[in-house]
Amino acid sequence: MSGSDEPTTAQEEPAKQPDGLRSCFEQLALPHLGYLYKLAVRLTGKTQDAEDVVQETYIKALDAFPTLREPERIRSWLSQILSHLVIDRCRARPREFAVGDMAELDRFSLYDLVWDEDPLPYSDNLHRDFLAQFPDDDVQRALLALPEVYRVPLVLLYVEDLSYRELAEILGCPVGTIMSRLHRARKFMERELWSCAKRRGFVRSEDA
Amino acid sequence: MRVLSCEQAMKLFFAYLDRALAGAPLEDLEAHMETCLSCCDKLAFSRQLDAFIKTRFAEVAVPDELESRVRQALDRASMES
Repeated sequence: MSGSDEPTTAQEEPAKQPDGLRSCFEQLALPHLGYLYKLAVRLTGKTQDAEDVVQETYIKALDAFPTLREPERIRSWLSQILSHLVIDRCRARPREFAVGDMAELDRFSLYDLVWDEDPLPYSDNLHRDFLAQFPDDDVQRALLALPEVYRVPLVLLYVEDLSYRELAEILGCPVGTIMSRLHRARKFMERELWSCAKRRGFVRSEDA
Repeated sequence: MRVLSCEQAMKLFFAYLDRALAGAPLEDLEAHMETCLSCCDKLAFSRQLDAFIKTRFAEVAVPDELESRVRQALDRASMES
């Protein structure tokens, strides 16, 4: 242990010690690299985009490191930087639902369709068994088909368990917008899974 | 207290599951759920669907050389600044 007479450490006064700052940053931030990469893959859907965005995140985070007030929250701080970068990328190529599509989405109910169709008549837990048929890839494809403005809050909610207020801060929109986007994101997932069930022959294809 | 229709109740399901409802809307929804078995089933399905999607997130393999590439990117950024 160093003596207590040393007045400063890299953590207390990082800006004056660039080498100390960098090593302190790496020590704190690099253990979260795997976590951030997985989050980035889930947000962007592409490994190359994910790697780019992770590199950008670390560069930006090193730059802003002296402003980090709570080092124990560094993972969530890094996740926020990464989410901002993903959203910024999406702004360059925004995708939205058409207005008519939104009205249809809001009314969509996978629960009702499965109930009406009853594709597994011998099941004692119809909806659970219906979902269990889907391979992982189908869920991934449905998530990636979501426009980013819906996918990003949904993935952040699932992975980071953030509150609507935190999501609103990260994504720079009102809480009401977060609420409607998360609602539509789930409805979209329901509709994609229903389409997928028809393609796979889990249900009759002439419906809906 | 407002009496909700099933359609109005369903619009609040996800906010309820995400613990984002409070005050009057929460009370209205809870009152509706006490009397509507169909909405209880639908809410349970919404919860089930959330859990299903979360467990089906693809496993992501982290490239071995990712850390060294990030360190190199930090080196380049430090030299440029």
